[in-house]
Amino acid sequence: MTYNRPYDSDSAAGTAGTGDGTATPATDGGTEATADTAGGSTAETTSETTPESGTRSPATTRRTNRWVGVAGLSFLTAGLGVATSTRPLVLAAVVGVAYLAYANVASAPSPSLSVARTVSDATPEPGDEVRVTVSVTNTGDASLPDLRAVEQVPQALSVVEGPARAATALRPGATMTFAYTVTARRGEYAFDGLTAIVRNASGSEEREFDLRTPATTVTCVPPVDATEAVPLHALTSRYVGRVSTDTAGDGVEFASLREYQHGDPLSRIDWNQYARDGSLATMEFREERMATVVLLLDLRPEAYVQSGEEGRNAVERSIDATHRMFNSLLDTGDRVGVAALSNDDIWLAPGAGPTHQAEARHLLATHPALSPTPPAERVYIRPALRMLAGRLPDDAQVVFCSPMVDGAAAYVARRLHVRGHPVTVVSPDPTRRDTVGRTLASVERSNRTSDLRATGLRVIDWPDDESLYEALERARRRWSA
Amino acid sequence: MVGVTGYELVRRPSRRSVAVAGLAGTFAVVASVPGGPLPTGLALGGVVVLLAGVRLGRHGVVDSGALVAFGGVVAAALSGTGAVTVVFGTVAAVVAWDSGTSAVSLSDQVGGDADTLRVEALHALVGAGVGLVGGIVGFVLFRVGPTRQPVTTLFVLLLAAAVLVVALNR
Repeated sequence: MTYNRPYDSDSAAGTAGTGDGTATPATDGGTEATADTAGGSTAETTSETTPESGTRSPATTRRTNRWVGVAGLSFLTAGLGVATSTRPLVLAAVVGVAYLAYANVASAPSPSLSVARTVSDATPEPGDEVRVTVSVTNTGDASLPDLRAVEQVPQALSVVEGPARAATALRPGATMTFAYTVTARRGEYAFDGLTAIVRNASGSEEREFDLRTPATTVTCVPPVDATEAVPLHALTSRYVGRVSTDTAGDGVEFASLREYQHGDPLSRIDWNQYARDGSLATMEFREERMATVVLLLDLRPEAYVQSGEEGRNAVERSIDATHRMFNSLLDTGDRVGVAALSNDDIWLAPGAGPTHQAEARHLLATHPALSPTPPAERVYIRPALRMLAGRLPDDAQVVFCSPMVDGAAAYVARRLHVRGHPVTVVSPDPTRRDTVGRTLASVERSNRTSDLRATGLRVIDWPDDESLYEALERARRRWSA
Repeated sequence: MVGVTGYELVRRPSRRSVAVAGLAGTFAVVASVPGGPLPTGLALGGVVVLLAGVRLGRHGVVDSGALVAFGGVVAAALSGTGAVTVVFGTVAAVVAWDSGTSAVSLSDQVGGDADTLRVEALHALVGAGVGLVGGIVGFVLFRVGPTRQPVTTLFVLLLAAAVLVVALNR
């Protein structure tokens, strides 16, 4: 309730302007015009489908009514000329009528356009700048006296240089080119839309339509980055790994001494004790086993919160954390999988090896449900939990990445915990304490995490101004102490 | 890593757009000079308001500026300026207004930073051409046509022409 959600407001320039300021909606002409162009224009474009021309939405035709005032003014002038018997004024009114004719004789052309795009780098790294060059060609027979093109930049990308828009006059066969720069961020983005607004020469009528073209995609996959060792619960599989268990057996860390049994290896006999009193004893060590970890992402719309006006939202941070933890867990020999609380089916069964790593990297970078913009529909957690519970291996523990901004997230963590999957919550903190409401939200959240800790879950609080490494390191020191 | 601040669309026309409207406006002022100081002042004030409106990206300001500038031309006509000059001034005022509002709508839709000079120059030239052709036709009609008719008849004829033009388009 009091978290900031300014996310949409500062994304890239997306849609066309509302049009001519003087263009009051035509009282009767507007709707009628829309109806009769819809059929005609689509028929025309489908007949000539060049590889790049793509499909076209039905055009909206508007009268801008910008010459209405001129008409009135010229009659006023003529009247004044008559009243004062001033012939030059009547002549000036003739000019006005000429403009009236100019405004009324031609309607906005119905153009056929083809659009081609090139990007400077189709596979950039996050933060790289990508130059997108758009060429619009007039493939029809009519000249376009006034063509305005507005590129539909993917919503999550921000334009950093140049407007992704242009206006020009195009002869048949002529091409206009404009370019703009976006900053790449994690994800797969399709550049496939353009809004075109065509006016007739006098500007009395304009036609607006969307042009869908085959997509030019930009795929931005973050580099493999694993620096943090993730502190894990002691629930492990029966394979050898790095998590020390309480089970005595082979290992490095001393666990206990027991009476020698026939067949124990010589290397594990405590020879010091034998020297002391002549009895044989066998040393036992803490067994180190492999853990099976499923990283669970909170992708509910509620989780798309961020602290302040700028910066990344909690989901972006969670995905980044998941990416890093995934790689570091793989490096330490654990089996790792990925799941999400989402309407899309996101599931990568726990596994190991380079292929598994590449799969996860691709999933985390390009899955549409993991885009930086929130989903439109709410996510129902009970079915999602049921689905997840059916898939989790018995020995799996869960690392749950969630900002914990509502009770539902805590509920998920608790449910999984009681089902026997120890839960570690990595929680990017989106709260601030600069207003009373925000402070209240912040307190509510910390109460929620305290409750979770009290029920035996581990919660790693990850403030906005801290790196994940620091947060994990702090947590590990606390838990090992 | 990646912030979401970026380029902000400038919804105000560029200086070049102001220059196009300013050029046409200057002609309107020049055309009202023979009328004396009052028409000149009126036209000049109107053009300044119009240009300010273009720079601010406000349709209303551009419209009112153009109205005042045209008022200057009318005042010049009332104080006995020749027909050619008045027609010229009218065309100039209309072109200034036309390119001004067109620049404002362009900046609204594609932003002031986009390169729009080509479409604006074309728009202004075509507009000026239409006005001049209309002016010449009117002038020829006045010279050759039924000059003995009372001015009221001319007015009715004018009205008829306008209605015809609008009716043909519907």
